[in-house]
Amino acid sequence: MDILIFSLFNGILYGMLLFMLSSGLTLIFGMMGVLNFAHASFFMLGAYFAYQISKFVGFWPALIIAPVVVGVIGAIVERYGLRRVHKFGHVAELLFTFGLAYVIEEAVQMIWGKVPVSYHIPEVMNFTLFSLYGLEYSAYRVFMLLVAVSMFVALFFLLTRTRVGLIIQGALTYPNIVASLGHNVPLVFMMVFGLGCALAGLAGVLAGNILGTEPGMAIQLGPIVFVVIVIGGLGSLNGALVASLFIGIMQTTAVSYDVSMNGFLNVIGVQVDFDSAWRMLVDLTVAQISPILPYLLLTLMLIVRPRGLFGVRDV
Amino acid sequence: MRIRVAMAGLLGLAMGSMALPALAAEDPIKIALIEPFSGPVAAIGRDTLEAFEFYADRVNAAGGVLGGRKIEIVVFDNAMNAEKTTQQLRKAIDQDIRYISQGTGSNHALNIIKALKKYNRRNPGKEVMFFNHSAVTTSFTNELCMFWHFRFDHNVDQKVAALTTFMNTDQDVNKVYMINQNYAYGQAFQKAAHKYLKERAPKAKLVGDEMIVPFGKVLDFTPYIAKIKASGADTVLTGNWGPDATRLITAGANAGLKVKYYSIYAGIPAAMNTMGTKVSTFTPIIQITESHENDPDVPAWKVEEQNDWLAQYNKSEYVDRFRILFEMMVKAFNEAGSADPTAVGYALEGMTNRGVKSEAWMRPDDHQIHFPMVISHVSTDVKRPFIYNGENYKMAYKTDGWIAREDMLLPSSCKMKRPRK
Amino acid sequence: MKTLLRKYGVWVAAAILFAVLPAVFTSNFALTLLCKMGVLIIFAIAYNMLLGQGGMLSFGHAIYFGMAGYCSIHLLNGMAEGMPYFPVSLFPLFGALVGLVMGIAIGYVSTRRAGTTFAMISLGFGEMVTAMTLIFVTFFNGEDGIQADRWVGPEPFGITYGPQIEVYYLIAIWCFLAMIAMYAITKTPFGRMSNAVRDNPERAEFVGYNTQRVRWLAFSLSAMFAGAAGSLHAINYEHIGFESVSAIQSGAVLFMVFIGGAGHFLGPIIGTVLLVFLDSTLADYTEAWLLYLGLVFVAIIMFAPGGLAGLIVMHEPMWKTDVRLLRKLFVPYLLALGSSLILLIGAIGIIEMIYFITIIAVGRVDMHLFSIPIKVNEVTPWLVCTALIAVGVQGCRLSYPKVAESWNDAMIAVKARIAG
Repeated sequence: MDILIFSLFNGILYGMLLFMLSSGLTLIFGMMGVLNFAHASFFMLGAYFAYQISKFVGFWPALIIAPVVVGVIGAIVERYGLRRVHKFGHVAELLFTFGLAYVIEEAVQMIWGKVPVSYHIPEVMNFTLFSLYGLEYSAYRVFMLLVAVSMFVALFFLLTRTRVGLIIQGALTYPNIVASLGHNVPLVFMMVFGLGCALAGLAGVLAGNILGTEPGMAIQLGPIVFVVIVIGGLGSLNGALVASLFIGIMQTTAVSYDVSMNGFLNVIGVQVDFDSAWRMLVDLTVAQISPILPYLLLTLMLIVRPRGLFGVRDV
Repeated sequence: MRIRVAMAGLLGLAMGSMALPALAAEDPIKIALIEPFSGPVAAIGRDTLEAFEFYADRVNAAGGVLGGRKIEIVVFDNAMNAEKTTQQLRKAIDQDIRYISQGTGSNHALNIIKALKKYNRRNPGKEVMFFNHSAVTTSFTNELCMFWHFRFDHNVDQKVAALTTFMNTDQDVNKVYMINQNYAYGQAFQKAAHKYLKERAPKAKLVGDEMIVPFGKVLDFTPYIAKIKASGADTVLTGNWGPDATRLITAGANAGLKVKYYSIYAGIPAAMNTMGTKVSTFTPIIQITESHENDPDVPAWKVEEQNDWLAQYNKSEYVDRFRILFEMMVKAFNEAGSADPTAVGYALEGMTNRGVKSEAWMRPDDHQIHFPMVISHVSTDVKRPFIYNGENYKMAYKTDGWIAREDMLLPSSCKMKRPRK
Repeated sequence: MKTLLRKYGVWVAAAILFAVLPAVFTSNFALTLLCKMGVLIIFAIAYNMLLGQGGMLSFGHAIYFGMAGYCSIHLLNGMAEGMPYFPVSLFPLFGALVGLVMGIAIGYVSTRRAGTTFAMISLGFGEMVTAMTLIFVTFFNGEDGIQADRWVGPEPFGITYGPQIEVYYLIAIWCFLAMIAMYAITKTPFGRMSNAVRDNPERAEFVGYNTQRVRWLAFSLSAMFAGAAGSLHAINYEHIGFESVSAIQSGAVLFMVFIGGAGHFLGPIIGTVLLVFLDSTLADYTEAWLLYLGLVFVAIIMFAPGGLAGLIVMHEPMWKTDVRLLRKLFVPYLLALGSSLILLIGAIGIIEMIYFITIIAVGRVDMHLFSIPIKVNEVTPWLVCTALIAVGVQGCRLSYPKVAESWNDAMIAVKARIAG
């Protein structure tokens, strides 16, 4: 029981980190139908900007400035790049962001070099807040959790309770009608893309010091955020939240309960010869294959229900 | 910086004329360095090239080898793609380069060994030599050994054996938890650790043996930390490198896990910088290296070299094996009296060379280098903090002890076929 | 005779080219490159059956290429250990079978949707197979990959596949056959239908075609040819590694096809030849090679979605009606190219200098830029490069509208000719 509660708690912490990473993407995806392959790259930019800015003025200003800078870059990319490509269709947009991810990664290496930079947790929050079953939790982890939760709440209110949000929601479903009502849909698109990138940047500021800020971080993170938003459902903020928590808890418990196929087979009375090739297959623990599970889920979800858990429109 | 000249000048080189013009004295001895020079891990290739240039410049400044022949390093980018390594190897051979050096990525080294085995058999008299400076797969000097391969780094088994030898003398080590990356190298580490923990550290009890999916796929190590904590381990033995190591240790430090980390790569400078002083010194991160700047036993000539290095590259020197490689190679050229790989190979066999602690020795049976290795941990209480690209890391390594050369000796299954002299 | 020559002349020329290339480029390295190009041309055209012909963007097509490679290596090793002999020359057929089977299986589930969903599914499958290479060690042997010796079994006609030149001709022959086959497919009713499903699935459905079936068939055929390429790849390197099934290879083929031009049969060939050549030469000379590649890719998507082949094909009407029309384009093109070149030199200069400062030689100042010795801590080189960029940008601003104008003029002339 202890393990269960404990895994659940860790899973929520991890899940909220995933949510932070993917909320901007789901916003862009839902709004514009653009799967932003460069999302993790904007996340990386956020981490690097935070590193650079906090070197000069400290962590707190960086927490504000870095996401804004990333957001502005995102808006510029939308205005002068993506908008141009839009007329060639979704495949071209996908390719554009794919190429953009490539360029950002190389540009980051060009500016900050190819070795990891020393971006660390701010000293003021590097103390133990409480401990649970012998493990300590620093104030920073809790701060991250709080930011993630407020991110969700703020986005939720923005989308459902404000005028801008209503326009965004409208443009999501009926772009042409919203445009003919006199709203500047391209401007909305630009703002949304910028906001989405800024959210990725904010996640970068907060998580870059936990995960390590290095040029390879975008590639490592890229696929997992797609999994989250696809499972959660296109453009659905609630879906992204649920999917993040689900994946977070799933991966954490899979590690905690170290079960293997072989253990299961032994229970039902099947013995596998130690030297056979199958041994290796059944000996895999869930922990070992757990990082494939999200991709399996992703593919299955897309095949069976492309709109995801909470989506309103197919991918 | 001759290489840069060639690089910038030959941008639009045509396919037919691939040979680099000889810019130095007549007929230099060329060494092809096949490493990643582009992509996310290019820093390793870059650092290696700097080491090669550093020692090549010294040799050349001292008049070269064989009565005035210079050593020239020719770079080949493999972009960390094993198939491109094979392709670049062919390109190097095509330029009549008889010496290849590589070390980053054991799968790349494996490709070179396999390809050279075939090439050298099919082209007698034009054999190509492979100086492996860092690829540590044990089999290269065991069942896969060949005459034209020399390894200047200790293999995984040797390093693990040395770590466990030291663990047996460490009062704090009682319960050991293993965590490794689930791929060729991590599995080799795990296998060796099982073997040598039993043989060399019988007092240590293994309380956990974990394999994780490698290459930064694990974002959150907290559940693993919880398991380590629950097992009551006081020591974590890990072969992890890159984010898999730094995230593990960072998560441990953030969760207040007080264990000792015994590792090969968890405390390398890049990792140290990623984690920061607080995490890096929260608990001892112990590793095994050739030498380091703060060791009290470093001889004067080595200190001088370290100072030159710092002055030239604005970086602290971290590895010593490139020096051993170059000094042995130069000796071998002069002893053999020619640049023919076969003669040089025979000269290298059984050669000894000065070392930081005591002599390095190239075992003739399997072409595996042997030298004493130093066990150290990351500390902020050091005279010479580590400097990389001008950035002061404010920490470096502190010696815990040395592993004698004799303790690095392991039996080899190598049955080498030798060419005619 | 004349019509025959017109119809098949290109293929005869291609065959002759394949035959004489090794005589022109004699070095081993050139041969290595040619072999690589041959293999990747098959893969790229196969990929284009999907992307260009069928409008399906796949981020995981290396699965079929790589899996066929793994199976071929296992077959080679199996033969060395006494399994029944299968002629090495026919390995591509075996690889094609592997690709086809996998294509049918994975295609069945992934081609039910098109567009972004399809792309995401392919990404998911790609990631899964890449992860498997590290987990199912018995089959994939982790990151080491598997080695084999292609010199195995009997030696029909004295062909051992020991020397690289024999492998080249093996690849050349199969590449030639595959090219003909894939070209023929584009001309069949199925090929046309594939285009229709790409452009307007509703209408295609309305005429009575099952769009999913058409996509599935296109996908399976594409996987089949990718498999053939994969097995040649395995024979060529005598090694297969996880890179071959992973996103690295999938991304590489996407870059080749798109830069070459997805809209035209020649596009993938141009892209492959160009990128393989640059990748193996330029990469040794500049650290920024991947950045340049990425920038070119993005620029192509934004400004020339037809790729290089698209740019060439644009001039077909003029070439066909009156070659003299092209001459009028010459001067504006030269001006545009010149100003682009100035812009490029300036930009490359700045990029190379930044790379030098941050990566190559932190703390040092002496570098060579285009063979000119400079000091990076002085203002002059930066000023010169910035000036070049400014001049280039201004030049482009002036010259590109002229290019568009003269091209339009030429098109009007063409239309007038046709109408008249």
